[in-house]
Amino acid sequence: MKELFPAKQVMGFVFSLILTAVALLVYFMDMSFELGMTVLLVTAFIQAGLQLVVFMHAGESEDKAAIYTNVYYGLFIALVTIFGTLLCMIWGYI
Amino acid sequence: MDFFDRFAIPHPSPAIYASMVAIGLTMIAVLAGLTYFKKWGYLWREWLTTVDHKRIGIMYLISALLMLFRGGVDAIMLRAQLATPDAKLLDAQHYNEIFSTHGVVMILFMAMPFIMALMNFVVPLQIGARDVAFPRLNALSFWLFFMGAMLFNISFVIGGSPDAGWTSYFPLAGNEFSESVGTNYYMIAIQIAGIGTLMTGINFMTTILKMRAPGMTLMKMPMFTWSSLVANVIIVFAFPVLTVALAMGTMDRLFGTNFFTTDNGGMDMLWANLFWVWGHPEVYILILPAFGIYSEIISTFARRNLYGYKSMVFSMVIIAGYSFLVWAHHFFTMGQGALTNSIFSITTMAIAVPTGVKIFNWLFTLWKGKIEITTPMLYAILFIPLFTIGGVTGVMLAMSAADYQYHNTMFLVAHFHNVIIPGVVFAMLAGLTYYWPKMFGFMLNEKLGKWAAWLLSIGFLLAFMPMYITGLDGQARRMYTYSESTGYGPLNMVSFIGALIMAVGFAVIVYNIYYSIRYASRDISADPWDARTLEWATHTPVPEYNFAVVPQVNSIEAYWDSKKKGQVLFKDKYEKIHMPNSSGVPFIMGCIFFAWGFSFVFGLWVPLILTTIGIFVCMALRSFEKDHGHYISVEEVEETETKLRGAK
Amino acid sequence: MKIDNSLPLEYSTEENRLKILGFWIFLGAEIMLFGTLFASYFTLVDRTAGGPDGAEIFKITPVLIETIVLLTSSFTIGLAIHAMRLGKKKAMLAFLGVTLLLGAGFLGVEIYEFVHYVHEGAGIQTSAFTSILLTTLGTHGAHVTLGFFWGLFILLQVKKRGLTPETANKSFIFSLYWHFLDVVWIFIFSFIYLKGMM
Repeated sequence: MKELFPAKQVMGFVFSLILTAVALLVYFMDMSFELGMTVLLVTAFIQAGLQLVVFMHAGESEDKAAIYTNVYYGLFIALVTIFGTLLCMIWGYI
Repeated sequence: MDFFDRFAIPHPSPAIYASMVAIGLTMIAVLAGLTYFKKWGYLWREWLTTVDHKRIGIMYLISALLMLFRGGVDAIMLRAQLATPDAKLLDAQHYNEIFSTHGVVMILFMAMPFIMALMNFVVPLQIGARDVAFPRLNALSFWLFFMGAMLFNISFVIGGSPDAGWTSYFPLAGNEFSESVGTNYYMIAIQIAGIGTLMTGINFMTTILKMRAPGMTLMKMPMFTWSSLVANVIIVFAFPVLTVALAMGTMDRLFGTNFFTTDNGGMDMLWANLFWVWGHPEVYILILPAFGIYSEIISTFARRNLYGYKSMVFSMVIIAGYSFLVWAHHFFTMGQGALTNSIFSITTMAIAVPTGVKIFNWLFTLWKGKIEITTPMLYAILFIPLFTIGGVTGVMLAMSAADYQYHNTMFLVAHFHNVIIPGVVFAMLAGLTYYWPKMFGFMLNEKLGKWAAWLLSIGFLLAFMPMYITGLDGQARRMYTYSESTGYGPLNMVSFIGALIMAVGFAVIVYNIYYSIRYASRDISADPWDARTLEWATHTPVPEYNFAVVPQVNSIEAYWDSKKKGQVLFKDKYEKIHMPNSSGVPFIMGCIFFAWGFSFVFGLWVPLILTTIGIFVCMALRSFEKDHGHYISVEEVEETETKLRGAK
Repeated sequence: MKIDNSLPLEYSTEENRLKILGFWIFLGAEIMLFGTLFASYFTLVDRTAGGPDGAEIFKITPVLIETIVLLTSSFTIGLAIHAMRLGKKKAMLAFLGVTLLLGAGFLGVEIYEFVHYVHEGAGIQTSAFTSILLTTLGTHGAHVTLGFFWGLFILLQVKKRGLTPETANKSFIFSLYWHFLDVVWIFIFSFIYLKGMM
């Protein structure tokens, strides 16, 4: 009977609600920009990782390596694009 | 009549009217021919509905050759206009339209499908697979590319060509400075073709990762397959950027948004930025498969294994990563500070290192090899020195401070033609000659092939080396004329002569195809070049199922080792073979996309909504469809195999 | 079709395994798609051209509702897949149905939000900021809309054909898509809304 209860999913859901609540502190409390962004970055990436591992079962099949490489590579390129664009379009002009 | 006015050409000329008539007559001739010879059924059953990767590859090939012709005519017109000072052959507007379409056609509708052609035909054979992972999707990719290309090409007879350069920088490409629908064509045609390319990327990544023959580990894959894998990884991560940029450009032009406008906060430089975030990786999407082709050809005709297999693979993987880190070198002069430029300058120079590693690997493969100069090998050997010149000038351009001198001059034009022509075009022609016997069952004439290779190389040097000099002297690109006092005249005349010699070279290739169709022997073996990889281990012509028995691989050059060391490739007995069914839906969806794009270009909202619904209906039908493919029975396989072995 | 019974239904044939990996690769492309939108958003966020900025038009209540609804739908689609793996068709269908209803609810709130923005004078043509804001949100919303119909078709198929290797495979892939949309929303929630209201 133990198998019937989706313990993993429930824990994931509770955890994601907690992370959302933590992120909301940025709105309800008076924080400096740096601290606020740090909180948001940490909660968002943990939350994304949670979805990936708990809900999307990224590591369950024989293609685990390919899937993780693909996601991490995509993430890396996306971050390079975001920060590179900011470097070229905004920060670079100072 | 107001409704029809929008379809008129804003800047007509006799040449355009003549092309209209020519296009009309050609279409009538094709339709009449198909009807007269009763080929409609054949065309539909065997080609339009096919999901066979080999046939899709051949359709890509035909499209690429057609587009090569279109882009080549553009090039000749450009060089003819610049051949003498103050020439009046073309006016500024036509010159703008022609260099814009020349760029787009050559990069996106010639080089890309040429690579797709070879990838489609070769990769599944090279890894011992029966087809790609998603054959139906593969057909859809082709038709989206094809319809995108056709939509782009009709622009010059309906509504006007794009005229803002192949990079289509805003604000020039915005409504204010580009009033005609030309730039709408650019945005939407490339969007459609781009979606097709993205699907190809996903398809081939999955195919190469999951469908290799037993025993073929990643580090035992042939080099062309490796290069295709890396190129497709880049496609998957680069093309979404183009999708977004084009969508934003389209919205700016048609829905009045303010992404790239010069007022209401819009930022025209963002377009250049996003364009090159895609555009630079795109360069590597083109060149890596070309490197793969050269690797196959050089090791085949040097009669030895490729030197430094592992370093070849690693340098490609490094290039794939680096290709996303260098894009700002396309706009060093846009106004970023020294720090930003320096960062991109360094990453750009660094990318020359893995490329250099590859050059040395090819040289070491040739070293002590028993070199046999066939046409493909001739292209490969010409490629090495010519491409290196382009690479070296690339490092010159990478220096951001010096780039202020080179930027937007003919020097840059010379550089990128210098890497793309010997790099990509020669590779594609070499690959075409190399794989021609596998595709069509006869070989192209060697003598004519070598003539073409030499003509193209000499023509290339004459056409582009002078541009380095005029560029350094300050001749700007994209200027339709110059005065006599600049002194650019003689060198530009040399360029024109070079372009004509290249045109002769291409004509020789066309003649070679005609000549070989008529006179070449059909009695060739399945392995006419004495090659080394799996695609040569099956029959010519390749049966529908590629391999009757899935090959067992335990070395990089499995076929070579089976010939020389007695490894057994085909161990099992015949079994029934599962194959995908043909389908007309990809073609129909392609046609709907064409109508969708056309409606979008002209802002015809009702047809746009109807065709959008049509696209979604096709997708919904696909969701509910039950399609389990079909089986080829053991008897049928035996029959085909006996017949093909007899034909050898 | 060779069916491997040692694996869950959605992985049981070679074709199914190809489709799952292919979809993961597609999600890689989607990461880049949204990455580009975010890059553009951060570039244009301060370019309001005298129009409203984020702090003026964002309201915490609808955003919170959207977030909770989407997080819950991500949970229920997870439950649907869990039920599917246990072979419980009815439970699976119920959870899938709830997921789609939550998706529709999300869209409802988002449409309300868009109407509110236009009302506040933040239409898509107002400024570079509003253009990229509405485009980024709209792209996510369009994904949810597409997902809604796709999920509906899968629901009908599971209902009619039962849990077969094909329908299980489609459901699993749909769940990947739906979770991914949730991930994207988390980034929108954090770096568009919360950062804007901070």
